Amino acid sequence: MTGYPRRRGDPTPDSHLFPTRPYDLVKEFVVALAVVLALTLALAAAFSSPDRRAITLRDWATAAPNDVVATATAELAGTSASATYGPPYNSAAQGQQLGPFPLAKWIGVHIPVNSAYDLVLAPLRLQHGDAALTAALRDWRATAPARRSAQALAYADALAKASGGNPRRVPPGAYGPVPQLAASFLQLARSGGLDSALTPGSSFYPADQTKALLLLSDGAYLEDQARAEHLGGDQWGMMNEVGNYPGQPWMWLYTFWYQVKPFSTSGNADALVWGLMALLTLGFVLVPVIPGLRSLPRHLGVHRLIWRAPAPGDAPPRGPTRT
Amino acid sequence: MAAPMWSAAGRYVDWGVIQISVTNLVIIGLMIAIFVAALLVPFPGGSRHDDAEERDDGRG
Amino acid sequence: MAGADAAPHRSWTARLRGRIARTIPPGQWLPDRQPQYVQSWIYVFGVATLAALVVVIGSGVALALGGSAWWHTSPVGHFLNSMHLWSVEIFFAAMVVHLWGKFFMAAWRGKRALTWITGAVCFIGSIGTAFTGYLSQSNFDSQWISTQAKDGLNSVGVGAFFNVLNPAQMLMWHIVLLPLVVGVLVVAHIVLVRRHGVVPPFDAVPPAQQETTPTTETGASELSGETTRFESVEAVTAVRVTTRRSPQERP
Repeated sequence: MTGYPRRRGDPTPDSHLFPTRPYDLVKEFVVALAVVLALTLALAAAFSSPDRRAITLRDWATAAPNDVVATATAELAGTSASATYGPPYNSAAQGQQLGPFPLAKWIGVHIPVNSAYDLVLAPLRLQHGDAALTAALRDWRATAPARRSAQALAYADALAKASGGNPRRVPPGAYGPVPQLAASFLQLARSGGLDSALTPGSSFYPADQTKALLLLSDGAYLEDQARAEHLGGDQWGMMNEVGNYPGQPWMWLYTFWYQVKPFSTSGNADALVWGLMALLTLGFVLVPVIPGLRSLPRHLGVHRLIWRAPAPGDAPPRGPTRT
Repeated sequence: MAAPMWSAAGRYVDWGVIQISVTNLVIIGLMIAIFVAALLVPFPGGSRHDDAEERDDGRG
Repeated sequence: MAGADAAPHRSWTARLRGRIARTIPPGQWLPDRQPQYVQSWIYVFGVATLAALVVVIGSGVALALGGSAWWHTSPVGHFLNSMHLWSVEIFFAAMVVHLWGKFFMAAWRGKRALTWITGAVCFIGSIGTAFTGYLSQSNFDSQWISTQAKDGLNSVGVGAFFNVLNPAQMLMWHIVLLPLVVGVLVVAHIVLVRRHGVVPPFDAVPPAQQETTPTTETGASELSGETTRFESVEAVTAVRVTTRRSPQERP
């Protein structure tokens, strides 16, 4: 139509002005529901779902006792991941930065965890009847903090150098009470007593597993098990599931960034990826208002497959153009 | 009931920086195939007209 | 009483009633007709997503009957858990195909920006809901996912309040808070689809406008004028929908 004045704004006409035909929406929904239900039942029956048992601290102590000893030592030395984490657990580090913004530090410590005390010493102090342990605890309390750290660090080094990390292969040294504390800790874990000793406030009903999970993830065993299942961060693990089960394919873009530089080599990778994904998500949500992006579909032309012109010979639509 | 799928090691495909499980690859492939099929397969019932059909206009 | 009251009412009830009635054009809550350009299999993925969501919620409700850990030891519970997992996979697959279709249609045209936006936020909200679901499995997956995810959340300070290492908190977010949020968004999304109708094809011109010189802005189709417009086109004989472009709209 020549001379048609170009209107400002969106020229899309009202959909209610177009010719209609009968369509049963409720039937469509019921059919969709039946199909999805049938598909779900079939897939559930054929493939089931994964349920790999949680690793208890007792399991950990049985499967990887040297790792438990090394982890307890690292907690006492203040070198474990949780001990050096920073907010929200402690102030040992600043936490990550998103560009110039130390967001974690600004929010601060809201879930206080003192790794040496909460994860190792407090559970040990609950034990009775172990004279060697009682003496070691007394010794630890009486030693100055700087000297304590030095003893724990020395033992940690010695364990790392020992064959297989085996405490029995560690040469004599100035370790103070640390070897005894670590050995008693392993014994406590093996007996199953550690699992319940880490719940907050000795509550009867365990609900918050923060301490137990921080301890477990301070060790190497949990990560070793996960990496064996391709669940590691640099293995696109966020998308994966144990065995051959379907994972989370929709996480592909989030985990992609961790596989490439600069994120893969940055100490602020988590914050940077979060920031980038927040930006991209905002872009995704706001597509309708982004010039260029919002007119891309017209030019891509896929719509021509969706809205094909009626075939020749089709009877022209009749009837009033309203519902 | 099928044997647990995790008892077998998961199968993965490596392609440069990309590592993806066979299962996820199958899912994504199926989604793309279904999308393309949805665009190409004709939708039935285009030219039916029911002038005499009672319509509920929902007003009043 | 007719929905579109012209005279202002002091009554909050009357005002709310009028607002609700005007949300969707008369007859459009559950119409039994649809525009003829809705003629592709791509259109079934929205309802497929909704159907999958119903199965997700239903299997979730069934799981809740036994609590958060019974499925570890009960074959029935485990089967329901499997249904919950697979219906979630179907839900995401259908939602993404629906998203692809809507993108290629530029379905935000014709004042439908909010429909796209609510749909997109639904997608993000669903990811969050699924995430808290994975954390609530009380198994090895939950242990690994929580200890990994905490780093991302802590890096931006969110972890101080949203503690993924606390399964009691994560379970409540999964079965109460996030489903409520997603549910409200889904309802809003569907209401918007019913309100605006399915987006017409690019450059489609309704029959009435093909015969008359177009002078009206699309804005005239907003709801205040829609009742009148339905009556005015009642007598118009429909003509085949064309996809003719006006000169100004050529690329």
